[in-house]
Amino acid sequence: MSGFILQLPVLSVMGCFLGAFLIEIFGSKNKVVRGIIAMLFTCFAFVSVAILFKPVMVDGEVVAYWLGNWEPVSGYAIGIGYEIDQMNYFFSMLVVFTMLMSLIYSFRYMEKDSHLGHYYTLFLMLSGSVLGMVFTGDIFNMFVMIEIMTFAAVALTAFRNGKGISLEAAFKYLVIGSMGSSFTLLGIALLYRQCHTLNMAQLSSILGGEGGSTPVTVLAFALMFIGMGVKSYIVPFHTPAADAYTAAPTSISMAFSSMVNKAGVYGMIRLMYIIFRSMDSSAMQILMVVFGTVTMFVGVTMALAQHDFKRLLAFHSISQIGYVIMAAGLGTAMGLNGALFHAMNHTLFKGLLFLCAGAVLTAAGTTNLDKLGGLSKKMPKTAICFLVGAFSISGLPPFNGFLSKWQIYQAAYTKGVETGNFLYVVVTVVAVVVSVMTLASFIKVTQAVFFGQVPESCKDVKEVPLSMRIPMWIMAVLCIATGIGANFMNRVIFTPASTAAFSVSKYIDTAMGAGYASAAGVTDIQTSAAVYDLWNPIMWLVLFGVILVAVFIVALTGTGRAPVTFDTEVADGKGATYFGGERYSHSHVGGSDLFWGFRKNWTGYFRFMDKQHSGVVNDYALWVVVTAALVVIFMFIFRLLV
Amino acid sequence: MMLVNYIGSAVLIAIGLVTILTKKELIKIVIGMGIIDYGINLLLVSFGFNGGTAPIFSFTELTSGAYFVDPVPQALTLTSIVIGACVDAMALALVVMLYRKYKTTDASEIRRLKG
Repeated sequence: MSGFILQLPVLSVMGCFLGAFLIEIFGSKNKVVRGIIAMLFTCFAFVSVAILFKPVMVDGEVVAYWLGNWEPVSGYAIGIGYEIDQMNYFFSMLVVFTMLMSLIYSFRYMEKDSHLGHYYTLFLMLSGSVLGMVFTGDIFNMFVMIEIMTFAAVALTAFRNGKGISLEAAFKYLVIGSMGSSFTLLGIALLYRQCHTLNMAQLSSILGGEGGSTPVTVLAFALMFIGMGVKSYIVPFHTPAADAYTAAPTSISMAFSSMVNKAGVYGMIRLMYIIFRSMDSSAMQILMVVFGTVTMFVGVTMALAQHDFKRLLAFHSISQIGYVIMAAGLGTAMGLNGALFHAMNHTLFKGLLFLCAGAVLTAAGTTNLDKLGGLSKKMPKTAICFLVGAFSISGLPPFNGFLSKWQIYQAAYTKGVETGNFLYVVVTVVAVVVSVMTLASFIKVTQAVFFGQVPESCKDVKEVPLSMRIPMWIMAVLCIATGIGANFMNRVIFTPASTAAFSVSKYIDTAMGAGYASAAGVTDIQTSAAVYDLWNPIMWLVLFGVILVAVFIVALTGTGRAPVTFDTEVADGKGATYFGGERYSHSHVGGSDLFWGFRKNWTGYFRFMDKQHSGVVNDYALWVVVTAALVVIFMFIFRLLV
Repeated sequence: MMLVNYIGSAVLIAIGLVTILTKKELIKIVIGMGIIDYGINLLLVSFGFNGGTAPIFSFTELTSGAYFVDPVPQALTLTSIVIGACVDAMALALVVMLYRKYKTTDASEIRRLKG
């Protein structure tokens, strides 16, 4: 590999930060200059990553670059290294793609705001830090990048600071986010004390064996797990995400969902699979699977109760990340393949849906589902894009979401059969039910926003400009293309990436010098290549059986009671609209409330969740601390005692 | 000897966490975040200390028997202090703006985004 290619990763990260400064100096007044600078450095990052495709993905090489040429001396990594294997290359592709799409969309979407120089500065800082976090091979550098990411994300959330909710969301994000960062830093400090190195490759060779189960390293592991969990917004750390996605400008909501979130997921996979090499332990698998399952269930049920377009999408985003974490937690090649596939699909379809929400906000001036309707007549192109995104996220064939979800169900079910653990069967059922609920929720949104009567306030809505539609079209086409070409993608991208997570010795050898891994006793986990009998009819039959059981269970929750009538109108906004409950006989169910009956049956659950999402930042902080305590106890029991 | 520092940093982190969990006043929450940072900084810099001298040598002074403290944690601590200061400054700026919008700095009243 030539020297220039080795320098591309660090140059693309530095380019983003350099661009941020240049915009602040030259572009704060001039619209064209800042547009050109932002586009130039974003394209540079995109092209750099594209050039790396051949050496990393096709030839399977690991790119290791030492900043300042501080190469390891006698087996100790003393400098900061950038190490790119197939795993973080995969995530860097998602990051640069999102950067480009979000930037193109921003030009017209943000044009009515003031102080746009700061917007593009922060945007490039966010992009650069996410890219840096994905590329780096040094855990402290990773922490610094996480902190820059949090700053830029918080500042961008509060960008429209004329609105109270933006500031509120930003403050909550900052408090929860910095708690997560503090836990990460504490974990890093403990690891440094124990291992005297910050390099991931060297840490991996130390921690994979006996070194990973001393009390100090176990505590560090638990703390870093919590830190990465906060960054990937799994339940119960999801509350700042829901707020920030709602309050941020939509181009930034899309960037949060598509790349900031993925950086957390990447950190989680890197931590579990490579630094601690812990995914062969069934306790760690169960930990991740339980977190993922809870995340997807809570996310989707909270989404059903929302009345705001963007907040609803935010909860769906959280829910889909649950699938990724769950599948990655299975610890099998097929599970990790499915997780990566779903992570990529999430970037595509959730980004697309957020961009559609932004288009609706631009055109109609609101994202309140009760005030929208019939927009398919006014903005048909956006409606088509939205439908593609909605079909993908709800898992309809042949869109990409179907294939990745199918792979995840199959991986979870196979895992259950192999280990004989009933938990995995339950997880599979929950995953299918969540997918059904996602579909239900998107039927509701589509009906509320794009179909039905056009309300008076939406009479003169116009289609959004072309430059906002271009990213939407690109992502819509990719949603279908990756669905159709799933086998090809699996062979070319996901299988190399997941293999890299299992075979760490190549990663360690490239960073630390040949033979280092075998000297440290690192052995690769041998995985059978994932088999894709995705169209096996028996599995279909099992799926239908599972769905029938799920429907039956849902149906059971609603029988045996006489219809309840109310004397007065129910004033509570969330549980309000029931037939027979109103004062007026000709009351309609609101367009945003198609599944009121379901919500009625689960009133207890929704009331509980509503109370928990209280909006008070202390409560959210309490969740983080309690979960951290539980994870620490879990890790101590299962990594030290058992 | 370092045990006192470790206990001190654990106490500081605990105080910071308790502050964030129990105080409704936004500025106190920010102070709590600051205290957690100080606790971690104390821990980091204590990890590097082994009783040696400051790690500042020229090439001629540096011999194989030189006994000095590990410089890496000190570099980490400096970085962490800078980051902590930025977090506090940004959080306080947000509190000021929140006060202008909501006319309060009570966390239990700043909850338009909920459910």
